[in-house]
Amino acid sequence: MKKILIAFAALAALGAAESTLAQGANTRDDTELLISQIQTDKRAIVLSTLQLTDAQVQAFTPIYDEYQREMKEVFTRGSQVIEKFAANYGSMTDDAAKDIMKDFFNVRSDRNALVEKYAKKLQKELPATKVLQWVQVENKLNALLDVEAAASVPISR
Amino acid sequence: MRFGPLAIALLVTALSPAVQAQDAGLAADEQILLKQISTNKKAVYAANLGLTEEESAKFWPIYDEYEAKQKPLQDRFLANLNTFAEKYDTLSEDDAAAVLKEKMAIEKEGAALKQKYTAKIAKALPPKKALRYAQLETRVQNLVQRDVYSLIPLAR
Repeated sequence: MKKILIAFAALAALGAAESTLAQGANTRDDTELLISQIQTDKRAIVLSTLQLTDAQVQAFTPIYDEYQREMKEVFTRGSQVIEKFAANYGSMTDDAAKDIMKDFFNVRSDRNALVEKYAKKLQKELPATKVLQWVQVENKLNALLDVEAAASVPISR
Repeated sequence: MRFGPLAIALLVTALSPAVQAQDAGLAADEQILLKQISTNKKAVYAANLGLTEEESAKFWPIYDEYEAKQKPLQDRFLANLNTFAEKYDTLSEDDAAAVLKEKMAIEKEGAALKQKYTAKIAKALPPKKALRYAQLETRVQNLVQRDVYSLIPLAR
């Protein structure tokens, strides 16, 4: 689980593990498969932590699954930034560095915006305390994983 | 309910320690510690960015301005956290909604501020050095967020 979540964080944080850099980018199919597996694991963690009633689960899961679908697109874009970083790492040009920064911020911004968008949707269906819990869980998971992911990304030369 | 406010303050301060260190109400030892964190963070950037004198002259004023602009957000973060801590045992739905709204607003404004100042730095420095700065800043923020979030219990 930990390895999967760390890999997930690598996508979320737009980092690239050194092994990834050494090997070149993962294939697109591998990345898609990995994101799907990670999202399945994450869903289980979220549901277990929130301890929703049956009625709340009925309200929560369709919205959460929609959130996961949208987030998957963001993660896929994130993996493309990683590929770009890996491809340019050995001979990073100024233009490539500019592009990577721009893409990085766009994906980070979209990730934050998605959490906010779905927190608002969830607030229409669930008690605010549960929505606050969900945002806290998302933040805790992302924060834990971002650190490990970022630490494994070499600093640009 | 207390979440170790000094520990949180110290962690948050890692994002803007120079300004935070001047806050009233902290004991002298704590202010020394905060100043040390500030010095350390700047030393990390100075050591890792490899700036020339000309680049340094452009970079540090922008960076200091960025740190100063973060201060009000950090104050709001701590105020929101204090509200959450004070009401933790009897948190109402309205309280939770208000804490959540403020939390998301702070995060959004913080992200926008980071993006704005990284863009400024990218205009002042060669892009590769700006990218390096962005990576370092992200690493620092990741560490701070991880440690801060680990100290805050989930709402109940």
